[in-house]
Amino acid sequence: MRRRFILASLLLTATSTFAADAPHAQLDAKHRAFLKDNCLTCHNAEKQKGKVRLDDIAFTLDSVEKADLWQKVLNSINSGEMPPEDEKQPDAAAKTNFLEALSHSLVAARRTLGDSGGKIVLRRLNRREYQNTIRDLLGVEMDVSDLPPDTGNGTFDTVGSSLFMSSDQVEQYLALGRRALEDVFAQRAAQGRHFKLHEETEKAANVQTRSAMDVITKKSEPARQWHAAVDAAAAKPENAKLVSELRATKDVQEDARRFYRRWQDIQGAPSPWKFGFKDAPEAEMAQGEYDAIHKYQERYLTLPKVNEGSYLFIFRLRHEEGIKPPKDMPPGRYTMRFRIAALDDTPPERRFVELGRPSQPGSYDILSTHHITGTLANPQIVEASVTLNSTDRREFAIREKRLNSREHEVALWVLHERKHKDWLPPSMWIDWIEFEGPLPNEAGRGLFNDKPARELIADFTTRAFRGTKPDASFLDGLVKLYEKRRATGDSHEQALKESMSIVLAAPGFLYLAEPAQPGKARPLTNAELATRLAYFLWSAPPDEALLGMADLHSEKALVEQVDRMLASPKSRAFVTGFVHQWLGLDRLDFFQFNARQFPEFDDSLKAAARNEVFETFAHLLHHDGSLTRLLKSDEAVVNGLLARFYGIEDVAGDAWQPVKLPADSPRGGLLGMSAIMAMGSNGERTSPVERGAWVLRKVLNDPPPPAPPNVPQLSRLVDKPLSPRERVLAHQEEPQCLQCHRKIDPIGFGLENFNTIGQWRTTELYTKAGEGRKDWPIDSSGAFHKGPKFNDYFQLRDLIAAKRENFARSFTEALIEYALGRPFGFADESLADDIVQRAKTKDFAIREIIRALVVSKAFRVK
Amino acid sequence: MTTRRHFLRSTGTLIALPALESIGFKAFAAPKVSAPPKRMVFLGFGWGVTNETWFPDAKKTGAAWELSEGLKPLARHQKDITVVQGCANKFANEAHWGSTFWLTGANRYAEPGQSFHNSISADQVAAAHLGKETRFASIQLNTPDVANSGHGPGLSMAWDPRGKPMAGLENPVAAFHRLFSDDTTPLSERQAMLAQKRSVLDAVLEDAKRVQNGLTKTDIDKLDEYYQSIRDIEVRLGKDEQWLSVPKSKPPVAEPKPGLAGKAEIEVMYDLIVAALQTDSTRVLTYRQPVGTLLQSLGTKVAPHDMSHYSPGDRMAASQKRDATQSELLAGLIDKLKATKEADGTTLFDHIALAYGSNIRTIHYLDNCPTVLTGGAANLKLGHHLVLPKDTPLCNVWLTMLHGLGIEAERHGDSTGVVKELIA
Repeated sequence: MRRRFILASLLLTATSTFAADAPHAQLDAKHRAFLKDNCLTCHNAEKQKGKVRLDDIAFTLDSVEKADLWQKVLNSINSGEMPPEDEKQPDAAAKTNFLEALSHSLVAARRTLGDSGGKIVLRRLNRREYQNTIRDLLGVEMDVSDLPPDTGNGTFDTVGSSLFMSSDQVEQYLALGRRALEDVFAQRAAQGRHFKLHEETEKAANVQTRSAMDVITKKSEPARQWHAAVDAAAAKPENAKLVSELRATKDVQEDARRFYRRWQDIQGAPSPWKFGFKDAPEAEMAQGEYDAIHKYQERYLTLPKVNEGSYLFIFRLRHEEGIKPPKDMPPGRYTMRFRIAALDDTPPERRFVELGRPSQPGSYDILSTHHITGTLANPQIVEASVTLNSTDRREFAIREKRLNSREHEVALWVLHERKHKDWLPPSMWIDWIEFEGPLPNEAGRGLFNDKPARELIADFTTRAFRGTKPDASFLDGLVKLYEKRRATGDSHEQALKESMSIVLAAPGFLYLAEPAQPGKARPLTNAELATRLAYFLWSAPPDEALLGMADLHSEKALVEQVDRMLASPKSRAFVTGFVHQWLGLDRLDFFQFNARQFPEFDDSLKAAARNEVFETFAHLLHHDGSLTRLLKSDEAVVNGLLARFYGIEDVAGDAWQPVKLPADSPRGGLLGMSAIMAMGSNGERTSPVERGAWVLRKVLNDPPPPAPPNVPQLSRLVDKPLSPRERVLAHQEEPQCLQCHRKIDPIGFGLENFNTIGQWRTTELYTKAGEGRKDWPIDSSGAFHKGPKFNDYFQLRDLIAAKRENFARSFTEALIEYALGRPFGFADESLADDIVQRAKTKDFAIREIIRALVVSKAFRVK
Repeated sequence: MTTRRHFLRSTGTLIALPALESIGFKAFAAPKVSAPPKRMVFLGFGWGVTNETWFPDAKKTGAAWELSEGLKPLARHQKDITVVQGCANKFANEAHWGSTFWLTGANRYAEPGQSFHNSISADQVAAAHLGKETRFASIQLNTPDVANSGHGPGLSMAWDPRGKPMAGLENPVAAFHRLFSDDTTPLSERQAMLAQKRSVLDAVLEDAKRVQNGLTKTDIDKLDEYYQSIRDIEVRLGKDEQWLSVPKSKPPVAEPKPGLAGKAEIEVMYDLIVAALQTDSTRVLTYRQPVGTLLQSLGTKVAPHDMSHYSPGDRMAASQKRDATQSELLAGLIDKLKATKEADGTTLFDHIALAYGSNIRTIHYLDNCPTVLTGGAANLKLGHHLVLPKDTPLCNVWLTMLHGLGIEAERHGDSTGVVKELIA
């Protein structure tokens, strides 16, 4: 299926990273016939209509100008502008084939013309790497959202040529570096102090509930008195007729309280302002609040164990329990603990809590989600690690998992109350909450000792520069600044902080520099290789073990280090950083999922769905698993939350664990993952096109050209009620669309058994004129373009899973780009071939692919 | 007065004093009122417009044109706006990038060996001329909602002379503080801080020299971005120094509430644009507007990208609602520009050249970029509907505006000349 046709046809022998220039993109000469038939009558040597001449157009696209001219040809045909309407129109099949060949040639041309010839351009730390580097160096976790995200330009965030620098950014580095050091100093000031907050939740809960009861009782008392007075007046015989008329009005029938709004009509009725209300609705509100809540508050206080803990509700009453670390707690890592139980009659889907920072009423920045398996008879203690930094609001809270907005919690409560004439019952009981720490910061502590300032600064700089010693002139400048600050009255530490923060904005810290002579490849030094390896597998600087290796270049040493590094928790940064970008998971955040259609797809579940992709990859990585298990597998890696969503039984708790799947399960492999399928939707409906294109791009390594501009939209079908399949099939009517969609669409339809959020379905509801709303059976059968047929999703999955080498190649190309920090180019073709062949002998083990890349020459030379 | 002049001279650079009235130096203001300065503003709205209902009838051109449905809210300003049809950036090829090349007209692939290239944006050409006398050479306004608004890569609408993205102010609060919040530390301390900042730059440059040592040409070019960033900070510090003793202008508007999004965000940003111009804090602004949150704030449930691919029904209704709201907001901005008086009795509107549009026409179309021009500064023929030959370079329009502002650029982007029909 792979069609890097211009390159694949060549036998590649080049091994040096400075190999000959990439071959140029070609358009097959057979397409000259199409030009001749459709373009040359006007665009020839004599008639150069519109100043465009195509009779001498080059079929080798070896310059930007030539590619631009072809692009113009493509654009005018795509937009329907050429051939002009009054001219003979090309045969549809010929046009389709011509457009397909030309758009692929142009993609190839852009790629070869943009080829860096294997050059790795000086890399700046990207935002993730900067954050991890500060963490390893200073032991503090920074909020780096002020820095540009470095993603979204079509390449990985490790590709040096796409990582820019601006004056604003340099100023941000200076500011962030200073803030990080301030955190370290704050920790130092609090050194030796240990903090522990312990809140027995019932204390605040019961006091607050009682006082809230008092308040609404007091507020509603005059309302009751006023209503009684109006009632008394209404009971008088002279009002009888009017009152019976009033009570019969629609308004009052709907809500009896509205009767009092007509007090002015009732003879002898007192005004509400005599009772302290500005009007009748205000009195109504005071009474309404009492009616809505007071009974529940009373009832709350009679719940069992209410004097030993508090209960979690969705809304009203206790909708969360929190803890507020005071200002004197220094920034750092803390442990948050709470003792909790699910009530005996709480349904399984309500046994989850979210720990987070309340941001706006009803909405949280969710930090983690926990499955509660403890019972009132045997509560459990949940423990989570949280970061306290100097800038965030000091508040953490837990609540039952829910859609993340006030609007939704109100709706949940109101709908339940209306239906059941009762409160939405509490789901969980919390005994207490603790907040303890900080954990000792070893990295930060190592920064200071009794050495003189110059030495301290020099040591710090060498560490910050990943083992490279700074020049004396740089140090001179820093020491001079230190001295100047001291002279103006700063303390030793204050002055140090200023000088050290400058180090964190210096090029030696921000860039991974590898000096080189033009045209001559040289082996990296040990330190350079250690750095490349560390930023590849950790997105973080090398540790002492790595920097201390005597000969890192030997295959044995490299493989040992790869294994050691992958075993470290720091390799999580590789899993999330690489996989997220490789598979394009950012698309999951492009759309708001329709909460009415998919209430279960809340923020916690979405995070779990995304995590499944990472956890599955990590599981394979850590257990020498094959990459191909991402195509099809007899197990899924899930936690309690996701297992419930998938209907997989007997999985409880927060730990991610592999579980065996029954033979007929659609799960197992990327295609069966909620996150992957949800990305192929717009939050409301599935998008077979997105899904099909994703499979071609990521799995089959046959990427369709980007969506072309200026293609006329099909308007013939607007207004017509069509099934998604019918609508998308319309794509295939016009040659402009058909050239790509004949490949994309069948795959997308084969995945239609997954709904918008990746749940299995066999029918879809849609509306068709004359037939009304109807459940339409999903038809997932189809055939690959010029390829085999499949009857359903399971056959499609098998056909895709058989394309092991395509997938391995797609993965390898992405990995090379990520690891070397340059766009995958011609110079990397043979490297990718070698790696795939080597990995093939080891059943495409992910770890083997990484090892093969790391020991390759390309990885070890500049 | 002596100290101030003395100080300004002592910086070694001769700079013109800002319009004194606007910076609260009434006592020093010369009795003669000089002509108000010229300004340039670009407002970009990402995902294009509704093709069927936004463009005026192409048959009715010149002064006898009729407002389209999407432009109706601008009726009260019809004589003061000109709609230009037919323009495009010929190299534009990314169907979802409404702002990346809008003001630059660059060819993404122009540099062999590079998969992305851009060049200076029209506002920055203007800033190099109009920005000399103000505290801020230019101000870039941005939105937190970039991803959902069809703008494409970039940090704001502006690209510097080397075609590198320039950072923008994320939200109204950040913009307000940049424009109007004063550093309250005493002058001597701030002078010391500036001196310290310079020493910091000197220090990091020392390290840059070390890093540069032995690098290849490509890497040195990359590191040059760092040098250039430091130089830019130095220029900024130089400017800060000139303005050190001049307090920032009193804000003519209140500090915005945090968290504004969508329609409210645009409204407040427009107020800040007027405030920035009125106080002569800057003469060049760009604003990359939100579209995703705008839709949300209008209560539509359609996802922004879906809206941009509208077809009759909910999506098209959302698209049209977007058009109308954007026009209504622009009309509000023009109202304010007209209502804000200059020292000589004219209005801000008379001294501004404003362009409003996107590189995307509609859906995936990159030709006939929607373009509305207004303001009296650039000697443009207003109150007209111009239908130019198909695929006239959009940069011709930018060049015409620049010339009208007295900036004699030879060309801009892929321009082939000025648009004569546009000159009054």
